[in-house]
Amino acid sequence: MKWFHKSKSGGLIVAQQTGTIVSIQEVPDEMFSGKILGDGMAIIPTENKVVAPVSGTVVQIAKTLHAVCIESDDGLEILIHLGLDTVKLNGKGFVSHVCIGQHVAAGEPLMDMDIELIKQEGLQTITPCIITNMDQVKQLTAFTGHASAGETPVIQYSL
Amino acid sequence: MQTFLYKVKASDGLHARPAGLLVKHAQAMSSNINLLSNGKSGNAKRLFAVMGLNIRQNDEIVFEIDGPAEETDCKSMKEFCEANI
Repeated sequence: MKWFHKSKSGGLIVAQQTGTIVSIQEVPDEMFSGKILGDGMAIIPTENKVVAPVSGTVVQIAKTLHAVCIESDDGLEILIHLGLDTVKLNGKGFVSHVCIGQHVAAGEPLMDMDIELIKQEGLQTITPCIITNMDQVKQLTAFTGHASAGETPVIQYSL
Repeated sequence: MQTFLYKVKASDGLHARPAGLLVKHAQAMSSNINLLSNGKSGNAKRLFAVMGLNIRQNDEIVFEIDGPAEETDCKSMKEFCEANI
C-alpha cells in the first residue's frame, strides 16, 4: 500500500465527458447518491468520448470495461463508472484506449462508450466520477451546467 | 489473527457496488482486514485496493482479520459475505 506525504494543496477535476453535469445526489443509484463509494458528480453524456478527468495513473479497468480507476498525481483515487448497471453489458459498447499502469494527462482519451447502444439496452448512460478516498480531501465543491470533455472544471478540491 | 476462505458466488464478481458494500462493512470494524485473492493482497477498507484485486465469480478470497475485536469482526464479515457476495 502506497501512502502519500505531499504538501497540502488542491486542484481541479475536469469533465470526463461532454454533456450535462448532475449533482451526485441526483444519480438514480443509491451507491452513488448516498455517497457510499465516495463524493463527486456525474455527467449525462451527449458524446461517446470519455477522457481522463485528472493527470494520473490508470490503476484499474474493469474486465467488463464499464469502470475505470485512476490515481491522480496528488493521490486522489478516482472512480469513473460508465453508466449505471452497465456491468450487465459484459463489455459490449465499450472500447478502452488505455492500459492498467499507464500514465495519462487530464483530457487524454480513456474510453469510448456507445451511448446509443446503452440506451437501447435499457440502461442509463449517466456517468458518476467520484473521489473514493475522501479521507484525503478537506473540501470539495462540485459545479453544475454544461461540460466539455477535458476542458470544463467540474470539481474543485483542497487536500 | 482470524482467517477464513470465501468463494465468491455473485455472478458479476466484486465490481463497484459489491466492492463498495464490502469496504463500508470493513470500515465499520476496528480490526485490520486484509484480502488475498488471485495472488494479490489488498486492504479491505480501501475501495481501490479491493477493486484492484479483480475478483470474479468463483474466485476464492482469504480474509485476514487482525485486532482486539477479530473474533466478532470475523463472524460479522462471514455473514456479510454469505448475504451479499
